Amino acid sequence: MKRSTQIGLAAAGVLMVATVWSLTGEDAEENLVYNSLSDCRAGGQLSAQQCETAFSEAAAARLKDAPKYRNQSECEAQYGANGCSTANIGGAQFFIPALAGFMLARGLSGAQAQPLLPPTTAACPPGSQQPECQQARSSSSSSSSGGGGGSGSSRSRAYSTTNGRGLTAAFAGGARSASVATTSTSSRGGFGSFARSFSSSSSS
Amino acid sequence: MRRIAIAPRPDWTEQVERLGFAFHTIDGETYWDESAAFAFTLEEIERDIEAPSEAIEQLCFAFIEKALASEETLTRLAIPAAHWDYIRDSWQRGERNLYGRLDLAYDGRGPAKLLEYNADTPTALFESSVVQWDWLEQGMARGVLPRGADQFNSLHERLIAAFQGLRQPSPYRLHLTCVEGSAEDKGTVDYLMDCAVQAGLDVRFSFIEEIGLLTDGRFCDGANQPIETLFKLYPWEWMFREQYGPALAGSRCQFVEPPWKALLSNKGLLACLWEMEPGHPNLLPAFFEGDPRCATLAARHVRKPLYSREGANVTLLERGKVLDSDDGPYGAEGHVLQDAALNLFSEDGKYAVLGSWLVASQPCGLCLREDASPITKNTSRFLPHFIEP
Repeated sequence: MKRSTQIGLAAAGVLMVATVWSLTGEDAEENLVYNSLSDCRAGGQLSAQQCETAFSEAAAARLKDAPKYRNQSECEAQYGANGCSTANIGGAQFFIPALAGFMLARGLSGAQAQPLLPPTTAACPPGSQQPECQQARSSSSSSSSGGGGGSGSSRSRAYSTTNGRGLTAAFAGGARSASVATTSTSSRGGFGSFARSFSSSSSS
Repeated sequence: MRRIAIAPRPDWTEQVERLGFAFHTIDGETYWDESAAFAFTLEEIERDIEAPSEAIEQLCFAFIEKALASEETLTRLAIPAAHWDYIRDSWQRGERNLYGRLDLAYDGRGPAKLLEYNADTPTALFESSVVQWDWLEQGMARGVLPRGADQFNSLHERLIAAFQGLRQPSPYRLHLTCVEGSAEDKGTVDYLMDCAVQAGLDVRFSFIEEIGLLTDGRFCDGANQPIETLFKLYPWEWMFREQYGPALAGSRCQFVEPPWKALLSNKGLLACLWEMEPGHPNLLPAFFEGDPRCATLAARHVRKPLYSREGANVTLLERGKVLDSDDGPYGAEGHVLQDAALNLFSEDGKYAVLGSWLVASQPCGLCLREDASPITKNTSRFLPHFIEP
């Protein structure tokens, strides 16, 4: 591949992952995002064993990396109603965002599976009409179907990552890809005079 | 290489704005233009663009070695003598460079020809790295572009890696600067800041007008923080000649791009490279104006000021008659004459120039800009490309 495998933009809050198009089978795109273990198994792109490994990697990473809250309301203020669950970490009870899905960022092998959390309320405010937000809020379980989505249909669902970035997974035509989405100053202003005197650009 | 008309995404403005692309339309004119795209074969990309870009960069390094040892060359390039040692030191210290863009004439036939090297302050970076990447992904997902298509564009990951390697130890504090009042320049710097943050750096921004000088000789930002490493989207030839020019050498600041890039972002490079490697397949014959060998140039040739940006003051001549020109403020330092490229892509009165991106001197990306004249100006439009599966 001659292009970047993923592009994250902190300012725009997007993380986009390149779709890996398999050219070996007809319409056999490789799934990169699954909402649940059963989704992964049903997709048929990974073996049951690979699905379980990916799922447990993501689940463990969620416990380790997801933000932790002392009470439910704090957590839900960030991740929306029903966006959190309890977790016992080191003997203490915490509320942490739910595991909304998991992502295999570099295709079938290589990188560890990453946990996907519900979208933040900053990205998807309550009542948002954005399709990806509605999809995320309505299907807190694994109702989004796996790899064999109807061709021509195009759905997307919003998530967030453990470091708080937003991510939208597009499910298009059966393909699922995370498209992402102590001195003092003696003077000042000694640069820039050419830019002022030239109407022309300083760059090319 | 083919130019293919493609229906723009119905919601293309929303889609590009979602990425933070603020200058898709400049002064009411379309700049990001996805009503067409350029399709390449992988062989065209690797054999005709990637490999020659690498070869030209190596030739440029050989040229810097020669030029730094030659007062005659530095004088012909109009580099102020007061800064020769400063430039030599930056090269001898091995100061790393971040990025550059080689502008090439290529139409799918014959070797690509170097038109100029935007080695110091190239823009069109964000749209090359991110916007056209997302256009490809969406085009494939929507079935408008062939599945399995690719793009010559690993700019994003190369930039992050290059930021990590610019200075040791890393991570380090990086300041970035550009002029106030240019959406395009600020957009480019904002994108580079994003990459630098992802490289783990401590990132600060100041406009160039805000930069100050501390009593100990170091530059500082608008908050009086000393500047140790500065990415500047601002040309060296201006910095050398401005009030703070004499303070550069004592500033203990590592600049990105490094001072030695001043030798490459100069159109005199074109004449110097041709003198080093006459007949090189990727070079066009070129001489400094006034050189008697200018008489050997083709009847159709181009006159370019040593310092010029976005096509300003470039003139296309045919037997001494002006065919196309662009006004501008440049030219006082001299000119080069260069044969007009015979393989500039043109179709239906449109002309396209290829921009071959280098990050840390590695070719890793491509952009195309199209204009209604053979001189690509600041009115040009950006068109995306893809590699056919």
